[in-house]
Amino acid sequence: MHDFELPSPLSGGKVTIVGLGHVGMACAISILSQNIASELVLVDRNPDKLRGETLDLQHGLAFVRNAQVYGDTQYSATAGSKLCIVTAGVPQGPGDSRTSLAPKNLEIFKEIIPRLVKYSPETILLIVTNPVDTLAYAAWKLSGFPANRVIGSGTNLDSSRFRFLLSQRLKVVPSICHGWIIGEHGDSSIPIWSDASLAGVRLRDVDSRVGTKKDVENWSQLHQEVVGSAQEIIKLKGYTSWGIGLSVAALTRAILENSQSSYAVSTLVQGIHDISEDVFLSVPCILGDTGVSRIILQTLNSAELADLHNCAKSLYEIQKSLHF
Amino acid sequence: MLNFRHNLIKLIPKLLKAVIAQTAPVHSALSTCYSTSLKYSFSISNTLQKVQNPNCSKYGITPAHRIHQSQLRGACSLVNSGKPLREKLMHDFELPSPLSGGKVTIVGLGHVGMACAISILSQNIASELVLVDRNPDKLRGETLDLQHGLAFVRNAQVYGDTQYSATAGSKLCIVTAGVPQGPGDSRTSLAPKNLEIFKEIIPRLVKYSPETILLIVTNPVDTLAYAAWKLSGFPANRVIGSGTNLDSSRFRFLLSQRLKVVPSICHGWIIGEHGDSSIPIWSDASLAGVRLRDVDSRVGTKKDVENWSQLHQEVVGSAQEIIKLKGYTSWGIGLSVAALTRAILENSQSSYAVSTLVQGIHDISEDVFLSVPCILGDTGVSRIILQTLNSAELADLHNCAKSLYEIQKSLHF
Repeated sequence: MHDFELPSPLSGGKVTIVGLGHVGMACAISILSQNIASELVLVDRNPDKLRGETLDLQHGLAFVRNAQVYGDTQYSATAGSKLCIVTAGVPQGPGDSRTSLAPKNLEIFKEIIPRLVKYSPETILLIVTNPVDTLAYAAWKLSGFPANRVIGSGTNLDSSRFRFLLSQRLKVVPSICHGWIIGEHGDSSIPIWSDASLAGVRLRDVDSRVGTKKDVENWSQLHQEVVGSAQEIIKLKGYTSWGIGLSVAALTRAILENSQSSYAVSTLVQGIHDISEDVFLSVPCILGDTGVSRIILQTLNSAELADLHNCAKSLYEIQKSLHF
Repeated sequence: MLNFRHNLIKLIPKLLKAVIAQTAPVHSALSTCYSTSLKYSFSISNTLQKVQNPNCSKYGITPAHRIHQSQLRGACSLVNSGKPLREKLMHDFELPSPLSGGKVTIVGLGHVGMACAISILSQNIASELVLVDRNPDKLRGETLDLQHGLAFVRNAQVYGDTQYSATAGSKLCIVTAGVPQGPGDSRTSLAPKNLEIFKEIIPRLVKYSPETILLIVTNPVDTLAYAAWKLSGFPANRVIGSGTNLDSSRFRFLLSQRLKVVPSICHGWIIGEHGDSSIPIWSDASLAGVRLRDVDSRVGTKKDVENWSQLHQEVVGSAQEIIKLKGYTSWGIGLSVAALTRAILENSQSSYAVSTLVQGIHDISEDVFLSVPCILGDTGVSRIILQTLNSAELADLHNCAKSLYEIQKSLHF
């Protein structure tokens, strides 16, 4: 070979993943196999795990569209990342609430976020570690970034779980079932039944009782199943991985490809729907190369608004108790 | 009044039949009343009264003397609003065919099986993915976890079952079940135990999908591909071992690292056993079509000053290295298997090094399975590519066939 102009270090397609547990690696394989990033950097404190996982991914590179995959314990390798995905932290065990993980994971973030910012000052941060809304807020504070460049994976996964459960009951495929779950990624998430639809046909136009107390078919049960999903899977297989991995890959694609498509992700909602607290929680957002380019303002009824405000308040209380 | 009540009671079974046929949820409320003894009829009429229908009389029931057989259909509209939401939203035509041609079964949900599943699902390769495992909790947990991501990939049905009946009509069955390599284990030492496991699995897959293609991943893959061929009674084109497809991709990656280019423009086959006695065909190794040995004839020989042969040694040691570092291998084999799956389901007729019956190939006399470059498509292996091998490579291949034959002889099929 004769060398000409060697590849530029700032490719626009570089993605960093911090934390190579089940969630981080599920994100990695989902991103790699879907040819989303041209460069994938893995960062973890454990050098053996780092090297093993990196090798294992690299051995599959001949089967996907070209991407560079490498790993490093040092953050200098992450320089020039378009997107940094943070999954590092203590995971939920059986019976753990997400909120109980907040103090410990905040301390871990104080190590991670400044280093990512140092090497990629223009990057977008995508926070996955739980409790994701609180930690997205923490990442925003620790990074000093404008709020559009700090995103929590939020209720994107809850919404896909919801759409899957709708699809099972209606005996159709998930892609034609639509419904947003917003608010906290956790017990107090809020299903917006007024918007739930099949191929554009609102369920409540066909039967106004859907998701209400008068509902004879008890569609509300689907939301309860969503809330209990993570714990159910953790009990059965020890952890969750594939769902969140595919969710994060979809968000990654939207950002890298500047697709301007909509996802329920955790963003700064101060001033939205008359929320006064500066908290992060999930609402439908438009994602692209600047991160969150727009927030979609749904028409919420009074009950849904009240739930949203309560959610914001309780997240604010959790934030107040933490030391940033 | 008595006449009305008497007629109403006689009518109840007919109404119930019609109601039950149309309205499953309402059915559960009424089913306890289906025996239609007198004492239940009152509660039935109460239940029917609760059903709201603006078109009906005050009590929700048209008086008996106004109902004829032909009006029973109309009477069913009395409980229209009790119809499930699904039926109000959609009208069914021709429901999906069970034989879609895109159905893939994965047996065994360890790290390898699940890596195959996520690679296949995220690349939209199969329209139907069935997971089979003996452990019902793991099965349910993994199935749910995949299902929760379905909104982000192109539509596919994903379900799991401990019973093989669910696998019926599979185009491809991927077998990863078995005892995995631990640190220090040779693949060959796993053969007897995994053969016993295969005696349970293969006949069941064959029973429910007699036209399927079997893709064997469990190690030692060459021996177990042979076992699957024997146990299934299939023609050899429909039994494939994942073989040295992964070894070859590892080799291409290592070439790419040394040459500082991307793997897709580096080419080189590793054939033979998926294991210690795999054979790198250096005479074919090339970069974007330029043979390395045309540029430097010493590449991969003993005279090689840059020691390119080391790359092959790294390939042989890869699995053990990764197992030592992270406990198991998964992503590489998952992507390898997904590529083979795509070739078969899409009938791409592209070439991969997979383990196939090589009796008669390159003058091999033993009936063994080992990896050579094959063309894969909807019939499985449609062609074997006959490489031009030098005498050293041929000798290695024959030795490989012999040692695999020895292992086979020691097993009880």
